[in-house]
Amino acid sequence: MLELRLVQGSLLKKVLDAIKDLVNDANFDCSATGFSLQAMDSSHVALVGLLLRSEGFEHYRCDRNISMGMNLNNLAKFLKCAGNDDIITIKADDGSDTVTLMFESPTQDKIADFEMKLMDIDSEHLGIPEAEYHAIVRMPSAEFSRICRDLSSIGDTVLISVTKEGVKFSTRGDIGTANVVCRQNTTVDKPEDATIIEMNEPVSLTFALRYLNSFTKASPLSNTVTISLSSELPVVVEYKIAEMGYVRYYLAPKIEEDDEETKP
Amino acid sequence: MADIETLGIVEEIQSIVADKLQVVSYKWLSRNFSVSSNAAKSLLEEFVGKYGNGLEVIYSLSGWLKNNPSTYHIRLVSKQKLADAKQEFDENCSIQVYSVQACLPKDPATLWNHEFVQAEDLFKQPLSVDNCLRDNRFCGVSNSFIKRNPGKGTATPQVKTTGVSGSFKDQQKIVQQSSPNIVQSLDIAKNVKTESHVKEDPGQGAQLASDKEKAPQQAPNKKKGHNDKNSSGTGGALASMWGRASTKTKHDVPLPPKDISLQKSAGSADAQICAREAVQHESSDEDGQNFNMKRTSNGEGSRKRRVVLDYSDEEDEYQDAVNLASPEPPKKSTPGLKNSSTVSGLGSNLSFEEEKVNKPNVKEVKEPNVKANQLSVEEIPDISKGKKLESSTTDKTNSLSPETKAGIKDKATDDGPKRRKVLKTRIDERGREVTEVVWEGPEPDTKSDNNSMKKSENNTVNNAINRPPGVKKSPALGTSAPANQGGKAGNKKGGTKDPKQGNILSFFKKV
Repeated sequence: MLELRLVQGSLLKKVLDAIKDLVNDANFDCSATGFSLQAMDSSHVALVGLLLRSEGFEHYRCDRNISMGMNLNNLAKFLKCAGNDDIITIKADDGSDTVTLMFESPTQDKIADFEMKLMDIDSEHLGIPEAEYHAIVRMPSAEFSRICRDLSSIGDTVLISVTKEGVKFSTRGDIGTANVVCRQNTTVDKPEDATIIEMNEPVSLTFALRYLNSFTKASPLSNTVTISLSSELPVVVEYKIAEMGYVRYYLAPKIEEDDEETKP
Repeated sequence: MADIETLGIVEEIQSIVADKLQVVSYKWLSRNFSVSSNAAKSLLEEFVGKYGNGLEVIYSLSGWLKNNPSTYHIRLVSKQKLADAKQEFDENCSIQVYSVQACLPKDPATLWNHEFVQAEDLFKQPLSVDNCLRDNRFCGVSNSFIKRNPGKGTATPQVKTTGVSGSFKDQQKIVQQSSPNIVQSLDIAKNVKTESHVKEDPGQGAQLASDKEKAPQQAPNKKKGHNDKNSSGTGGALASMWGRASTKTKHDVPLPPKDISLQKSAGSADAQICAREAVQHESSDEDGQNFNMKRTSNGEGSRKRRVVLDYSDEEDEYQDAVNLASPEPPKKSTPGLKNSSTVSGLGSNLSFEEEKVNKPNVKEVKEPNVKANQLSVEEIPDISKGKKLESSTTDKTNSLSPETKAGIKDKATDDGPKRRKVLKTRIDERGREVTEVVWEGPEPDTKSDNNSMKKSENNTVNNAINRPPGVKKSPALGTSAPANQGGKAGNKKGGTKDPKQGNILSFFKKV
């Protein structure tokens, strides 16, 4: 028996918007500690990890670990039926092949419930080792989103290089080149506008902008994004979900012939 | 003969056990490779002898128990406990390899899983299909109550049993003798399940040579076909349209004039079949039903197989030999030739230009399709690379379109060495499995394909083919960047192909 009640229903909608571009089908794993998901995109280049801790739910009951395979587009269809202020309750019985979604309006005068069919999905769970990253950049998520969007209209890939001066995003395309440098900036009115760079050693890695653009779909979840880079590891793009958990994206770097250190 | 075949099977067992980590029991083996269960057991024993070191073996012991001589007992034991278990039996117990696996399963049910799935599959087959479970042809237990299809049943088995069993003869005898007893001794608690299986199995002796060929392909192929379907299934409607266009492109065999083409088509029957099936493969694979329907409307519909043999030289005027829906390529190819010659004879500029227009577009299409393929078929990577190269050349020709002819010539010369034959297997839309040899590699003349389509499939299809170009123009014109950005699954597959793109799996290990 699984029963989750999430007062801030819009959060679930945002979460889904954040991952459904990247992944079609995925298993949601529910345990006593929380609601999580890990899935690779179809080309096995990117990985998305979601965690919503049980503390973040108004009510959380999960008697036994349960894995629910869902088509994310279908789930998104259902969640579209929920209003932004609605309270969402997710229910599933053990051994059932459906999940029930219940949407209550904040004034309790409208209640809708939906039953969605689950599916069997073979998913490989990947172990993600804890790692020390050479550079960690925290910046406003809107800024990152903007940069990725802008650069993707010029080139396919972005070279992200972190130096003491700041973080540089550069691309090259048929029509020309582009460089965007963000300097460390902590003197801002609001802490979420800060750009903070922690760097142990300089890193520069190339990534496909297409994926980064999918990642930025998570921007509504958080005002800031944390980008962790290490020369021999996939980049981690993390959006924290306030008081609940996070969405993390991992993206394997492009391998550059003349740049030995980016090789896996 | 048996030796040669078993050698192959033993290798295969190894790969199944070691790579797929599957439990290989003699029952599974027997059904999968259509060998008698006794042969399967001896195969397993041979296998254990050869490679058994790193593997776990489960033996099936059967015989009379010492302490309780009235019960006939069958027990599955692991390698380690074999000696102990033997002690409990009377001297004359038979020891057979029941299954081999990479490690001992925690849950004993795992031992039956694969058999069960297999048996289920076999039973699910339509009634008309004769499979080994339905007539139980591998069962050597025979008496007057057992009836099998005449010709298939007991006559062959006997022969085979004696032929195959060899070293196992003794044990086999024991088992066969004991089998009636087993039927009565179902009460043994722990092994009830085993016994119920064993009851039907121990004597399985039959083996049909004809099935031998059939069945081994079945299981592996099924999977493969499935994959194919999946990969093509995930692509949207557009993808399937592209797929169709590209199907045609793959099969032209560049060749000089008619007479040679005739020679060719009249050539070895094998080649014909290969070519035919290749085409069939492609078409039914990517757009299954549509095609089927069209073909029926074509009048030739009763035939599913179709050949498009393109013998086009660098000369554009010589169109290709087209051959549709016929099992006898030579016969059909003649009309095709006629057709083409009339077309070229008319020499209508219009049609010719149209072809030209079509050609580059169709090629554009090829790339995504190839990508999709690549996911499912392992052999293709190099080729797809080749294709990519080719498609870039296509872009060039596109821009050069006035001088397409020259472009084609270049390509034709370039392409020769890149192409090769590839064996492909899949399940077609009727659920039959098809193995075929396909020409893989960049194609110099798509245009001829379009032509063949026109002739063979009427205007409707022609329209269908002509439509895609409009759609595809945008990717062709723009740089690949914007085209790729759609973030949708179909496009993502494209990303995989990028040789520079790292794979997340190379960083994180599966748990």
